[in-house]
Amino acid sequence: ELFQNIQVQKEIIANIRTKPWPIRRKLKVLKQAREIVLKYEGRLTRTRGYQAAGADLLKKISRVLYNIVVLFIPWEMRIKKIESHFGSGVASYFIFLRWLFGINIVLTIMTGAFIVLPELLAGAPFGTTRSKTIPKDHLASAQDLDTIWSLGARLSSLIFTGYLQYSVLFYGYYGNVRKIGSAGYRLPLAYFMVGMAVFAYSFITLLRKMAKNSRMSLAGASDENYTFCWRVFCAWDYLIGNPEAAESKGAAIVNSIRVSISCIQQTQINLSLAVLISLRILANILVLLSLTGSIYIIYFVVDRSQKLEQEKPELTLWEKNEVSVVVSLITMIAPSAFELVAQLEMYHPRTSLRFQLARVLVLYLGNLYSLIIALLDKVNSMSSAVSRNLSDSTSYLATISQSTEDNLSTIIPDITERQNSTLTRTLLEMQSLLNHTVLYEYNTRSQQDPCWETYVGQEMLKLSIIDMIFTVASILLIDFIRGLVVRYLSDCCCWDLESKFPEYGEFKIAENVLHLIYNQGMIWMGAFFSPCLPAFNVLKLVGLMYLRSWAVLTCNVPHQQVFRASRSNNFYLTMLLFMLFLCMLPTIFAIVRYRPSQYCGPFSGQEKIYDIISETIANDFPLWFSKVMSYVTSPVVVLPALLLLFMLIYYLQSIARSLKVTNSQLRLQLQNVSYSKLNIIMMYFTRLQAPEGSDKKPEQESDITSMESSARSASPPRRNGSITNFESPVRHGNSIRTITQSVSRPDIPRAAGATQSPTHTYPCHMLHSLISRHSGYLGSTSGSCRSKSYHNMAYKPCTRYAENIHSDPLFRKTLRPMHTEPAVITAQSYVGHRAHSTRYVIVNEHEARKKLMRSNTRLPRHYRLADEPTEIVELYPRNVKCYIPRPPHRSHQPHLSEEEEEEDPKSSTRRGSFRQSKRPRPLSDRHQTTQFYIGDTINSQLSMEQGLYGDEEEGDQEEDWVNDPQTNIRGPESAHRYGEPYVKPKTKHKVEPSLTESDSASLASSSDQQNSSTDQYIQVIHNKKKYLKSNAKLTKTKSKSSVKLNVSGTNDLVCSNV
Amino acid sequence: MGNKQTIFTSQQLDAYQVRLFHRYRDLAPQLVPLDYTNQPEVRLPYELIGSMPELKDNPFRQRIAEVFSEDGEGNMTLDDFLDMFSVLSEMAPRDLKAYYAFKIYDFNNDDFICKSDLEKTLNKLTRNELTEDEVRMVCEKVIDEADLDNDGRLSLEDFQHMIVRAPDFLR
Repeated sequence: ELFQNIQVQKEIIANIRTKPWPIRRKLKVLKQAREIVLKYEGRLTRTRGYQAAGADLLKKISRVLYNIVVLFIPWEMRIKKIESHFGSGVASYFIFLRWLFGINIVLTIMTGAFIVLPELLAGAPFGTTRSKTIPKDHLASAQDLDTIWSLGARLSSLIFTGYLQYSVLFYGYYGNVRKIGSAGYRLPLAYFMVGMAVFAYSFITLLRKMAKNSRMSLAGASDENYTFCWRVFCAWDYLIGNPEAAESKGAAIVNSIRVSISCIQQTQINLSLAVLISLRILANILVLLSLTGSIYIIYFVVDRSQKLEQEKPELTLWEKNEVSVVVSLITMIAPSAFELVAQLEMYHPRTSLRFQLARVLVLYLGNLYSLIIALLDKVNSMSSAVSRNLSDSTSYLATISQSTEDNLSTIIPDITERQNSTLTRTLLEMQSLLNHTVLYEYNTRSQQDPCWETYVGQEMLKLSIIDMIFTVASILLIDFIRGLVVRYLSDCCCWDLESKFPEYGEFKIAENVLHLIYNQGMIWMGAFFSPCLPAFNVLKLVGLMYLRSWAVLTCNVPHQQVFRASRSNNFYLTMLLFMLFLCMLPTIFAIVRYRPSQYCGPFSGQEKIYDIISETIANDFPLWFSKVMSYVTSPVVVLPALLLLFMLIYYLQSIARSLKVTNSQLRLQLQNVSYSKLNIIMMYFTRLQAPEGSDKKPEQESDITSMESSARSASPPRRNGSITNFESPVRHGNSIRTITQSVSRPDIPRAAGATQSPTHTYPCHMLHSLISRHSGYLGSTSGSCRSKSYHNMAYKPCTRYAENIHSDPLFRKTLRPMHTEPAVITAQSYVGHRAHSTRYVIVNEHEARKKLMRSNTRLPRHYRLADEPTEIVELYPRNVKCYIPRPPHRSHQPHLSEEEEEEDPKSSTRRGSFRQSKRPRPLSDRHQTTQFYIGDTINSQLSMEQGLYGDEEEGDQEEDWVNDPQTNIRGPESAHRYGEPYVKPKTKHKVEPSLTESDSASLASSSDQQNSSTDQYIQVIHNKKKYLKSNAKLTKTKSKSSVKLNVSGTNDLVCSNV
Repeated sequence: MGNKQTIFTSQQLDAYQVRLFHRYRDLAPQLVPLDYTNQPEVRLPYELIGSMPELKDNPFRQRIAEVFSEDGEGNMTLDDFLDMFSVLSEMAPRDLKAYYAFKIYDFNNDDFICKSDLEKTLNKLTRNELTEDEVRMVCEKVIDEADLDNDGRLSLEDFQHMIVRAPDFLR
């Protein structure tokens, strides 16, 4: 159909980018294809046109939108700039940072929209409830602002105990009213859900990103060993555009190559093994010591601050911040210490980098963990203190009430009984009053205890802030000042500062990424207790982005040992996932294990934080739901579910394992295939180069009987060749030019070979080669103008190929009987045969060319038709031509059946399959209406014939074939050609499907002229050949006259048809 | 349907081309006319192409210019220039990149990467810092690893097979 043609064009358009052509050619092909699409798309139904236009518009709009979105990708330009200066390694850090920024934005939106905003809008206003008022003494201290020094104190006190403590920043601010506002927003529930959703979202995004990355990188192939190849071919970072970076990159490449050479050569370090091992042990001990030391220090500091807090009423700035300062200091100093230690070990640089990363990660984790454990410890003691407090107060209450009762009872007895009832009433009143006062007293006391959740959140926020300060300081001091010093003092120093000791700061990608991960871990840890932490982190990341990029561009040099962890690498992400999991644990633990603070926060008054869920389910959902939930959470359901999960995991894992095995097997297969492909190619080439005789040999085995047949058999090998050609172009969709070359190449040597072959086989070969060459020529000349209309045919390469295969054995069979046949037939069959083979070569290349080939290889009489002056008539014959080459050898099958009965069934079955493969082909290009009509009339007429023949055909095979010509409409010509009675009907028959195609109708009239001329030319050749052939048995004149008559007859016929 | 987008939208193409044209022209304003309607034959010499910041520090800059230029000597027309940028751009398909990478490394244009090509590559890459022995060894290793058909040199298929598996290639 036309639609298919358009599809082909579209495919061309779509794939053009992947073609390694120069742009000029691309543009040309693209323009052509587009023209066709535009031209014919409108010819399809109008709705389709609208559809197309709509889809086009939609695509355009989406493209524009996408471009706009790209514009808004934050820091894209900045990152690109860094990338261009320092290569993609450094840029990957910033991309990672940006990605984290995105995550934090989402987290911020989540917490902001569902927790902070509702609380601010609908929650109890500031100062109304106790948890939202600042105690008087704190208020006083929060507002003293005397000296510069106290500014810092005030800042910190703000964070600690000032306004901020009683703000939406922290857990404690949120009210525990179940529903707030007029809409009844369930804030506590939302708080809990969002807290969990933060983790869930992080997990999901992380995992998705990782999955995407692993899909991008051919993960399974990484175990293949191409170390040297990659070192050489993939070493250069084509994004580097800075001489310094280029130099360091070059150094790094030399380094890595040397290292891998040394790995190969197994030349180990010249130090003795004992020293080395002892050194390494020492280094590890040092690292372990520093790790434990840092953990101990953190624990100690937390403990100390706790004690200080209890002892002293007013704390200094240092005392308040020492925990976070110490933690930040450790995180800053320890990595450098580790680096120093790592120099002792003398590992391979890559290994040492890995060790370094692992150690730093452990350090960060240890820091965070010891901090949170110390904090939770504190929380524990705090909550126990609270409970003690509570019991104290109750006992106090009891004593008071008892004493009052005693008092009352002692005072009152002497009052008369009448007053008794009233007295008891007053007594009760007094008691309740007392109770109230006691409770109030207790409340004022307990107000001193901050809620532990707020406390943890505060610590986290403090840590984050201090960490930011330290990062900024380190960037400014270590990188910037150092850079300044190195640059400007190197002249007045006795050694070269730039290359010797201080150097410029290197940008250590891995460490910096780890620091980012650590930072994010802090956020995850504290997000539940301080809902605004993600928002703060967003700000921090933005600041970091600008500062870092500035620092990198101004005062850093890229790291020499680039840790290869790019976008497609999951290394960072794996670490981040690890961090997320480990940071989630303490939070979850705290949520599950500890009792929420009694008097602050959304969960105050509950036994456990997660009780909010069960409470909501119990109270606010219908009864059946809670029932269902109780069932679902019962062990009856949970245990099987767990089991199922395990089974699922096991199943998936086994599948993954089997897939891996398949993968490796496929890879092996691929290797084998590439070997065998090479072998085929080699064989092909050797065959080409070898003389004709070698080509014939395989065929000679099949039919040795006569020289003729042996000579003829030159065609099958060619077909083989064509098949091999065929495969590659179809698969690769390569350019036409290369294929024409491959076509012409086999042809020429054959022709050369053919000239050497004896006697009357010679002309045949000669002719054949001529034909094929000419057809190739024709194809190339006229192919360009005709190609459009024939593209729809390109869809069928597979079926063609199948036919090709089918026809191959057929040929061999037909060849055998041939030597007993009249020469004309053999000649004809031969031509068809040849044509067939050559045609296949060209089928593969280009449809248009194939068509031409067919027309060229057709029998002479049909060529004559092409000479018809009228355009329309011309078209018809070409249609006829197109498929005629096939009939000849078809028509031989009956002969076969006549002569060799035993082969008949086979051949007939083959034929059936042949026809089947042929039938589905009809594709009609019905856009040129007038011509289409003509084609149609002919078509119908021919189909009538076809009907006749179709009926006869089955019987034909055993019956007398001479009868057929009479039923043929082309009576005269068939009558003339006594030599070819079999051919004629068959051709007619075959014409029918070709006519249904009628795609030749779409031929531009301009191309027709050219074609007709070329056709003529070929015809001459054919005639010549006929003479030569007919020498063998028939007279020239007869064959010639038959041809001529034939031509005239058909012409008449066709005209009448029109 | 809207298949044009698979290459470029026309505006996009225009934008790219215009931008690249300005880049191209900025290299030598005196050589390149602003009016390209009558397809003038303008070639920029390699010295100018190689001094672009994108290529300036690339050890293979000359080779890149040679591969993409029509005359094979690094002198580029505007079309060559566009070609080069389209292949080196982020959006270029992987196979195309591999194909051109192969061409770039194939110094003697014989469609195979043989040892001499490899040596040249290595020397360019490392700025002649490796000793001859080392270079020879690396070359042997490379061919050993990637040469699937054992013909002692790397064909395009070998190369593609190897390079699409490289972890960093897709960047």
